Amino acid sequence: MNAIDGTDRHVKADDTPPPSLLAIVLDTNPHAWAHLSNTLPLSSAVANLLVFINAHLASGNANEVAVIASHSHKASWLYPTPKSATPSSSSHNGTSNSSTNPPAPPENPNKYRPFALVESAILSNLSHLLTSTTEAHLASTPTTLIGGALSLALSYIAKSTLLHSPLDTSLEATALSALADSETTHAVRIPLTSRILIISVSGDLANQYIPVMNSIFAAQRKRIPIDILKLAGDTVLLQQASDATGGVYMKPERPEGILQYLMMGFLPDVTARRSFVMPSAGGVDFRAACFCHRKVVDVGYVCSVCLSIFCEPTLPDNTCLTCGSYLSLRTAQTPQPALLPRKKKKKKRVAGGTDSTTPGGTPVGSGTPMHG
Amino acid sequence: MSQAPAQYKKQDGIISLSDQGARAVLWKPNSGALHAVTIPVTDITNLQQTPVTAPKASIRISAQETHTFTLTSAAARDNQQAITGTLRKWIEASKSVQGGGAPVPTAPPAENGNGQSASMVMAQTASSATATARAEDDSFDDAKLLRDAELQRSLLSSNPALRHRFEQALGDKPDSITINQFNSQFWSTRLHNLRSHAAERAQGAGTYNVLSVVKPQEIDGGVKLNITKEQIQLIFAQHPLVKRVYNENVPPLKESEFWSRFFFSRLLKKLKGMKITDSDNVDPKLDKYLNLDDDPDFARQLDASAVPRFIDVEGNEQNHSQRLGNRADWTMQPNSYDKVPILRTLNRMSEKMMEYVPPSDGDRHGPAGMDEDTYKELQLRDLQRADDDNRVVLKIKDQGQLFAASQGLHTSSSAATYAKRTPAQVLSAVQRNFGGISGSNGGDGLDLQAAIGVVDDDSSSDEESASNKKIRIGSRSSRVAATLQINKAIRKRHLHNDDYLLSQNAASSEQAAQLGLSQSVFDTLTMTHNTTVEFLHYFWTVYFSGDPDRAIEIGKLVETLDKSLDRIKAVADSAEAERTAKVEKLVKDNETYTQRTGRRRKFDANSVTGGAKVVNNIASPLIRAIGSAKEQFEKALREQMGHSIA
Ligand SMILES: [Zn+2]
Ligand SMILES: [Zn+2]
Repeated sequence: MNAIDGTDRHVKADDTPPPSLLAIVLDTNPHAWAHLSNTLPLSSAVANLLVFINAHLASGNANEVAVIASHSHKASWLYPTPKSATPSSSSHNGTSNSSTNPPAPPENPNKYRPFALVESAILSNLSHLLTSTTEAHLASTPTTLIGGALSLALSYIAKSTLLHSPLDTSLEATALSALADSETTHAVRIPLTSRILIISVSGDLANQYIPVMNSIFAAQRKRIPIDILKLAGDTVLLQQASDATGGVYMKPERPEGILQYLMMGFLPDVTARRSFVMPSAGGVDFRAACFCHRKVVDVGYVCSVCLSIFCEPTLPDNTCLTCGSYLSLRTAQTPQPALLPRKKKKKKRVAGGTDSTTPGGTPVGSGTPMHG
Repeated sequence: MSQAPAQYKKQDGIISLSDQGARAVLWKPNSGALHAVTIPVTDITNLQQTPVTAPKASIRISAQETHTFTLTSAAARDNQQAITGTLRKWIEASKSVQGGGAPVPTAPPAENGNGQSASMVMAQTASSATATARAEDDSFDDAKLLRDAELQRSLLSSNPALRHRFEQALGDKPDSITINQFNSQFWSTRLHNLRSHAAERAQGAGTYNVLSVVKPQEIDGGVKLNITKEQIQLIFAQHPLVKRVYNENVPPLKESEFWSRFFFSRLLKKLKGMKITDSDNVDPKLDKYLNLDDDPDFARQLDASAVPRFIDVEGNEQNHSQRLGNRADWTMQPNSYDKVPILRTLNRMSEKMMEYVPPSDGDRHGPAGMDEDTYKELQLRDLQRADDDNRVVLKIKDQGQLFAASQGLHTSSSAATYAKRTPAQVLSAVQRNFGGISGSNGGDGLDLQAAIGVVDDDSSSDEESASNKKIRIGSRSSRVAATLQINKAIRKRHLHNDDYLLSQNAASSEQAAQLGLSQSVFDTLTMTHNTTVEFLHYFWTVYFSGDPDRAIEIGKLVETLDKSLDRIKAVADSAEAERTAKVEKLVKDNETYTQRTGRRRKFDANSVTGGAKVVNNIASPLIRAIGSAKEQFEKALREQMGHSIA
């Protein structure tokens, strides 16, 4: 009987668009939000974001959402609330478990319950995150841990995708989950389309060039677009993320209109985007950050073995800092200092032969400092 | 001045490079045990250095005799690099002087380094390449390619687009740059093209199946046969039978008659491997050769020579399907000649063609069978049990250890803005603000409608905007602004997508129309863009050459870039003129329409696209590139002028 029921639903599900998982990475860097407090305070941004989330959930019965805060000292879940990270001895059968994360579903007859659940979880988790932040955390860094938050989002998406259309190896697991929850069985075998939306307010992300790039490549492989709503800060790294993954990049000229940006630019899911012309980022800054100082470089030097990027050709012991291979960049220095003395002088020097400085004599000319 | 402590013949001393008068390598002993050594750069025929992995850093300089210097200081490796680096440049300079001028004065030993660029000399230092390999590479050497005017002409004539660009750039070049300078600049950015062209030219075309190419045409009842002398020779070579038939019949027959009969004969069909039918022409003279074998000698020839290994199917015998009970495919069975003559003919043609191809695996005249190297090569080493592990282990260090990975508040790009608040202020401000929506939501949760501030009724928004002195979040104006920005971005993407589609078809006329430019203006713009990019190339090559002799040249190039700006402006002006004319015409049309009908048509001049704005928009990256080139040049110039005065 179960089997008959399952096939029935399966046929029905085929002509509706697949469920869509929206993973939102909310940059909660307090420095940046304090700076933005006059144009777009955090509370307003979160309220607008909640409306956007509701719109997303409303546009498909099976749509899901995940929200991660990328904070200054850690990346933290806002929704779904992680199952008691600290193994507390108290049973979590009751409506309220530990005092740290109370789900506290507010009973409001005018609010659709799934909306209310998401809302209360996000608000309470974010509030908890903010109260647990100390001054020392803020003093140590000006930016946010976007790399960690992206990894969390990607792993959550990977897990959800598996749950939705399990591989053969996990058949046992699904059988178990089918027993446990009869509702999830109907979702089995329906592919999940996912996307990531980063609401970013921080600059200085070049610091995390490597983890972020790795996340970008992972998303690219899994065909997960990374959308960026850049409210503040420099754009270097995230623009590449959206460009490489086919996501939407938006830097609002008027952050006060945030809801409009969210609704118009980011609401369509991957399935819908096939029929749309999505907004374009225009020019993309493709520069990379060096591995040695994490600064963005115009011209860099790359290790031929491990592809590490360095900003200057002088490496200690002529070895690559990452893999230790021999790496002499002296010969790779094609742009020698441009020498533009008047021709007359040069002649004098040759004729008289008294001037001792040869242009090519010293390995690296100290005459002109060169900046990209 | 490069100088460094170095041992020569086990004596300590100082090696130095002298640029006074003639460039030379000097070595002076610390004690008087040995004489000082002087090697003029012009005499150097070879320069070698120990690889970086070697324990000692030595330099070997070959001139009339070979000198070996071992660098002894703590920074021996650096000294070695610096000295060879400089020497390399000097040798290159002296070679290029020699190469361009009179015959090389030095005796036979100089042959070694004569036409070779420094890069080749250095390549030798790393691996002792064999003489033959070097000779082969030599023809693709940069300097040689640059000097080969004939090769350049040939490339230009084979590539119309490149030729067009060359001529365009040549026409636009400032008079102050000589043709020679221009040539070397143009080609130095296209060495790869020259190299591939040289490689292409070095390869001759192989023979082809000539009978299938020659096709007699019937025109006005008569037969027209176009056959060249080369083709006839090829037919004789490929089909000895035809040669025989020709020899035996041509005195009675006329040359042209023979060929036109041959190309309609059954003999031809047989040689081509086609089936002969009863309806085919009967030619008593040629038909008697039908039963003769085309090339009786051929089979023996092939047996005699070694079979190139890569087409040797002998190895297949091991897994012979027929021995396992399967019959060979009918096309592969013997004596099926009449069934599929074409297969046999084609196979024979291929065999003959292969005969002309030099074997790629080894010397034809060498001993038959496998040599040691080939045998080793054919072994599947990876599958052997006791194979040495020759992987290179890549040790990745924790990148967190590299320099200071963490960033302080003051190094932030937003440092200035963040510095206004202390962390304590930041924290309390954000917590207070957020507390406004998370704490006091009572039992009903957040009132989203109020929180997002979207109120469609404009009159009632006054009261709310009192609380927020600034632009209210979610106000109508901000929403409209957002919509405009997104629409703009969508249109941009749309245009880009179209651009992409168009570039696939290279339909520039449609692109021009979409931009509101005429085809001629669009073409001029494309051309201006091409030449400007060309000059930017030259600029940067010369700028980074570090050669003071080219200082004048670079000044000229900057002038050229200025001219490019003028050219872009000229295109913009003509586009603007075009657009003005278009607008005027539309206005006039509207007037006549109003006169005729008495009604007015709505007209907005802004809806007419094109003009200077579009051109400047397209050319903006180019203008920016010129700007940054000039800026960098002027900055460097100012600095160096300052240095030279001081
Ligand atoms: Zn660096
Ligand atoms: Zn490396």
